[in-house]
Amino acid sequence: MPAEYESLVGALKLTDIPFAEYGWKTRPEGTYGTVQLDMESAGMDADGGKKDRSWEASVDVFFPKLADRQSVISTVEETIEAVCGDSWELNSIQYETSTGLFHVEWVCRLFGTVEAVPEEAGDA
Amino acid sequence: MAYTMKTEGVEEIKKMLDTLGGNAQHTAAKALYNGAGIMADEMEKQAGSIKTAPFHYAVFIQREPSPEEKAVVQGAVGIAKFRKDGNNVQTSVGYGSSGYAEIAGKKKPIPLIANAINSGTSFMRKQPFVRKAVNRASSRASAAIRESIEKDVDTITKQA
Repeated sequence: MPAEYESLVGALKLTDIPFAEYGWKTRPEGTYGTVQLDMESAGMDADGGKKDRSWEASVDVFFPKLADRQSVISTVEETIEAVCGDSWELNSIQYETSTGLFHVEWVCRLFGTVEAVPEEAGDA
Repeated sequence: MAYTMKTEGVEEIKKMLDTLGGNAQHTAAKALYNGAGIMADEMEKQAGSIKTAPFHYAVFIQREPSPEEKAVVQGAVGIAKFRKDGNNVQTSVGYGSSGYAEIAGKKKPIPLIANAINSGTSFMRKQPFVRKAVNRASSRASAAIRESIEKDVDTITKQA
């Protein structure tokens, strides 16, 4: 795992929002989040070198009350920024009519070397 | 003291520029089609690597997409109709107008299924195959567009 990803997961788990990696087996009540390492985004070295590598992780938060949006979004964005600096973006904001949940999705770019690639993250 | 400057071949250059201008939209559309094809192929390939599990309805479980949903998403990648605006040409690759599919006895919009898999929902685990395809194919698509334009400009300038 890239060290920055581990820091991101650790920091998100310290917030008030319950976070799980790679989704929840059983959906929790209220506000909750998921975080996952999606893919290797680009090779950082020339000639196919794999010393420095760049990864993309995504953070998703689901919350039922629109009034909670400000606190949820600032909690997550401050946490992401503390770990990733400026290399993140808000990817989408969606609303699920069937469940009444708001869904906000962020993509973070992480840097660092890595030896073991989690199966879920796939190849580059 | 006076200098006299003489330029030759201005008429030929003017003719060449006129020909280039007249063909710009056709050249751009052809190049864009090549690039969009690469992106669509990669998106279809990435949709093929979506992990699935047999469909079962359960409200509180975040499930994997079913094999039927994967097949629908994989087969529905398309290139949108080209939009022309002056000499600019635009298109989109994805699921914009891919219609409906019947999943577990219900008709569902294919763009909605693709979005649920790509972004994830509270009841489906996310597998960002579109972002993965864009990451992998964007440099190849740009190179194909550039190559096609350079080739066409070469042909046009030789003809002029």
